[in-house]
Amino acid sequence: MATASTVIRYEQVRRDLWRPLSGASSRYLVTLLVLSAVVVWGLCAWGYQLHKGIGVAGIRRPVFWGFYLVNFVFWIGISHAGTLISAILRLTDADWRKPVTRAAEAITVFALMIGGLFPIIHLGRAWLFFWLFPYPNSRLLWPNYRSPLFWDVTAISTYLMGSTIYLFLPLIPDVAQLAEHATGWRRRLYSALSLGWTGSDQQWHALERAMKLMAGIILAVAVSVHTVVSWDFSMSVAPMWHSSIFGPYFVVGAIFSGIAALLIVMAIIRRVMHLEQYLTPHHFNNLAKLLLLMSLLWLYFTIAENLTAWYGNEPKEMNVFGSRVRGHFAPYFWLMVFCNFVVPFVLLGIRRLRSIRTATIASVTVIIGMWLERFLIIIPTLSFGRLPAAWGRYAPTWVEISITAATFAAMGLLYLLFSKLFPIVSIWEFEPHEEPED
Amino acid sequence: MFLAADFVDQEGVARAILNLRAEGVSTTDLAVFSDEPIEFPRRVLHRPSRMSLAVVIGAVTSCLLVIGFVYFTQYNYPVVTGGMPIFSFWATGVVFYELTMLGAIVTTFFWFLGESGLLRRGSRGPAAVIESGAIALRVKCEPNRADIVRDLFERAGAKNVRTLGAAV
Repeated sequence: MATASTVIRYEQVRRDLWRPLSGASSRYLVTLLVLSAVVVWGLCAWGYQLHKGIGVAGIRRPVFWGFYLVNFVFWIGISHAGTLISAILRLTDADWRKPVTRAAEAITVFALMIGGLFPIIHLGRAWLFFWLFPYPNSRLLWPNYRSPLFWDVTAISTYLMGSTIYLFLPLIPDVAQLAEHATGWRRRLYSALSLGWTGSDQQWHALERAMKLMAGIILAVAVSVHTVVSWDFSMSVAPMWHSSIFGPYFVVGAIFSGIAALLIVMAIIRRVMHLEQYLTPHHFNNLAKLLLLMSLLWLYFTIAENLTAWYGNEPKEMNVFGSRVRGHFAPYFWLMVFCNFVVPFVLLGIRRLRSIRTATIASVTVIIGMWLERFLIIIPTLSFGRLPAAWGRYAPTWVEISITAATFAAMGLLYLLFSKLFPIVSIWEFEPHEEPED
Repeated sequence: MFLAADFVDQEGVARAILNLRAEGVSTTDLAVFSDEPIEFPRRVLHRPSRMSLAVVIGAVTSCLLVIGFVYFTQYNYPVVTGGMPIFSFWATGVVFYELTMLGAIVTTFFWFLGESGLLRRGSRGPAAVIESGAIALRVKCEPNRADIVRDLFERAGAKNVRTLGAAV
């Protein structure tokens, strides 16, 4: 609460969190340039695919879903960082969330923007993507509402709209303050975004009510989105896909990878923006414990999914299962288990080893492991379908690899630009507090 | 006219509000300005809201519109199905669910804009500019009651009592 004794500290908070917004170091500019170059390269690769046709990608019979769909599922999973973490912690009034939420909410919006592009890239004729939307047309044809792919369109559009509003609402008081102090184009930008915010009690009450409601709504949407993504697979009668636990399995994996992404971003911005006072070991410790919990849950679901397939011994499922655990895909499978369970369990489970550095290392391995998990869900099933005569292998081309690399660069680029325009920690929500002992 | 005063803590503001309300000032004529949200007990300053109700209504309306739209579009094109149903409620349930939620999200956002007064800039009165960390209380009063309000402000420990200009 604002009292005379905390006035100076709030001034300090503002100064510290506004400082990264002004100026740009040479290191920042070089990073910006490198990431932009990778993004441009990815766009060129996509342009090449648009010009030559989808045949330049490695997807062909029987593996029609390759890297593009792997990336789609992966990025939609990463998008669960902000909304779920921020919304759950907001609803449970967890005070330690306050410096973390904006960083997480921004991940959600950017990951959704990137993830949502992949079905369009995968279409081949990307310029016809608007056929996915129901609009009056001369052919009187409407999308097939019963298709899980159309469910994706509605789910992701809703989630993107909700996440953007969820990011924007708590940003309003901060940009209103920035508008008072900024000059030039920044002042115009912040003034426009602040919508005339004055900080009256009526506005604060409306904002807090809206945030509480949005947290509840966005939580329900976030769970449904990854469930719907999992139904893209489980609604088909394909070996190892037609599973009733795919919904919760995907949601758990999404939260898992989302927390890992958040930890990595927090570690980077803490170091680069010198926010050691705001993103403290306490925050990393709490998130690391969450990551460990999700790692155990992920292992539980992975065992449940694979054990039932193995015990059932259904020949078509065993072909896929065998290729994963001891066949062509076995190195990826065991690397995934190592990355998603062994590393987090050792580094975060042993209290003496748990630190910001180890939490970041574990998070990087989890991101690798979760990408592999998406790959292992999609590719083996398509490679070893029900008809052995139609079995085939998939190998990505440089086009798919370039576009994949560009999306990671795009994430970094969007984050760099965002952190230069807006305070990465919510200033009005931040309350100076005594650091609890872990 | 509008009178405003600065306070260093929330207790002072609460005292001033209670004094003003005892003098017959309506809560709709009061506005508290601060850098961060301030919670007052209901007996001091209560701002009733219908946002939750509006969101439910928005969600239900959106759901009904979407069901109607999907039903209409399924029958809009004369697909020959051999007697099988064209419209399936359960197979389109996900679409209804997601767009119901979209209705709730959009309603929340616009209700927030309306309830916070951000859409009614002209009618919400002048904003009280405050020093960082301070809290300002603004009162709308008749000019002949200005001295009473000033006195009540000062008794509650206010500083910098001032008259505010035209509406922003």
